[in-house]
Amino acid sequence: MDPYFLVFAIMALGAGVFMISARDAFPSALGLLTVFIALAALYLHLHAPLVAIFQVSIYAGSILVLIVFVIMLLMTPGQRLQEFQRNLSYRIMGGILGACLIALLVIGLKGVGEFFQPREMTADFGAPSAVGELFFNRFLIHFEVVSILLLVAMVGAIYLAKRRS
Amino acid sequence: MAGLTEYVILSAILFGLGAIGFLTRRNALIMFMCIELMLNAVNLSLVAFAHFRVDLSGQVLVLFIFAVAAAEVAVGLAILIALFRHVKDVDITEYNLLKW
Repeated sequence: MDPYFLVFAIMALGAGVFMISARDAFPSALGLLTVFIALAALYLHLHAPLVAIFQVSIYAGSILVLIVFVIMLLMTPGQRLQEFQRNLSYRIMGGILGACLIALLVIGLKGVGEFFQPREMTADFGAPSAVGELFFNRFLIHFEVVSILLLVAMVGAIYLAKRRS
Repeated sequence: MAGLTEYVILSAILFGLGAIGFLTRRNALIMFMCIELMLNAVNLSLVAFAHFRVDLSGQVLVLFIFAVAAAEVAVGLAILIALFRHVKDVDITEYNLLKW
């Protein structure tokens, strides 16, 4: 049997059992995060790098952050983060999650070997004019989108910070 | 190389864990996360089938499931917060507004 599959399958199953048996919602969310990361590693193995990227950025990134945010909002005053951190099973789960993330990064880097080959240096590389030229030619649409994003964020921040009269 | 069978078995066990968690837990947040676990188990089997049958449409379907899951989380958690404002608890046995 493939050791790569075995390691991440056991990680996913262990984290899944931890998730449904955890007493509180917060350790449960940690277990769910570990399942997401282990599955992302399996997706890389199944020639689905795009799905793996989305798994990490959408699931482990935004969806889990939203869930943790709501857990924090709905936490009763008796439940404190420090209490979970003293818990041994919580620490073990954190260790497994860290190992999982490191393994994912190492495996992900292994696939991009050709990026580590150095190329010939050009004279104007890194000059502000060269960077600016790239900005306003090849990445013009990205540049405009980012400026609109900043404008929206600014308007939103002013609206939120404004005192309601 | 692990075969398709192993991936499908792993997916089935994860789905089962999610279903067990959904049916046995009473904390609404944990139940919610169990739904996510079930969705992920299905995603794993879809990606595995896409890989072993060399058909990319499985991966495209997974990306659609991602979008649906993101929408589901946004709406579901908003409902949960609205419920929590009324009941002050995440225990689903306390939610009996529609019972009479």
